[in-house]
Amino acid sequence: MKRTSIVQAIHVETVIISSILQIGDSEQISARTRALAVQRQHELFFGAEGERIFPVFTKPIPRWSSPPPVASRQTLHQSPVISVRSIRVLGVSSSAVVHVGSTSTAEAEARIKHIRQLADPAPGSQTRGRGS
Amino acid sequence: MNYTVINRDVHVGDIRVTAVASAALFLIGDVDAVNLSSAFDTPPEALIIGPFVPLVPVRGE
Repeated sequence: MKRTSIVQAIHVETVIISSILQIGDSEQISARTRALAVQRQHELFFGAEGERIFPVFTKPIPRWSSPPPVASRQTLHQSPVISVRSIRVLGVSSSAVVHVGSTSTAEAEARIKHIRQLADPAPGSQTRGRGS
Repeated sequence: MNYTVINRDVHVGDIRVTAVASAALFLIGDVDAVNLSSAFDTPPEALIIGPFVPLVPVRGE
């Protein structure tokens, strides 16, 4: 048996990119994110840029295998309640989970690659910016 | 091995969280198994200084 969660007040500002805000019990939680974040000095977007070529999106992540079950395990809920007066969360992002209530299994995976592209500052090179 | 867990009273006041991100879990409750993984890649070559070209040639061009 699992305990009951009691939260008097919850305020969550933003939930984005495959994130979950779950109120109430659940059985299985699963979230996946793949993000290719390219920041360019100038506003340029080329469309598809071969997200699949980056190993960070394909490399297997070693999984922690669950430990062997304990021969004799006993859990006594002396109090059947977990209570919280108030929760404030500003942001939930990239396969993150905010969960009020109990669950059986929770799994999430986030794969993020950041690339920054800046203009060549060498003289004579084509740059847009101040003075041009 | 004998393993006993006693869950006594849990009363929490106010929780303030700025952010939960990248396959993180914020849970008020019980759970059996949790498996979270996150890969974040920013190698030196992730900073490109030079002409603005697509990261790889777009197919068919």
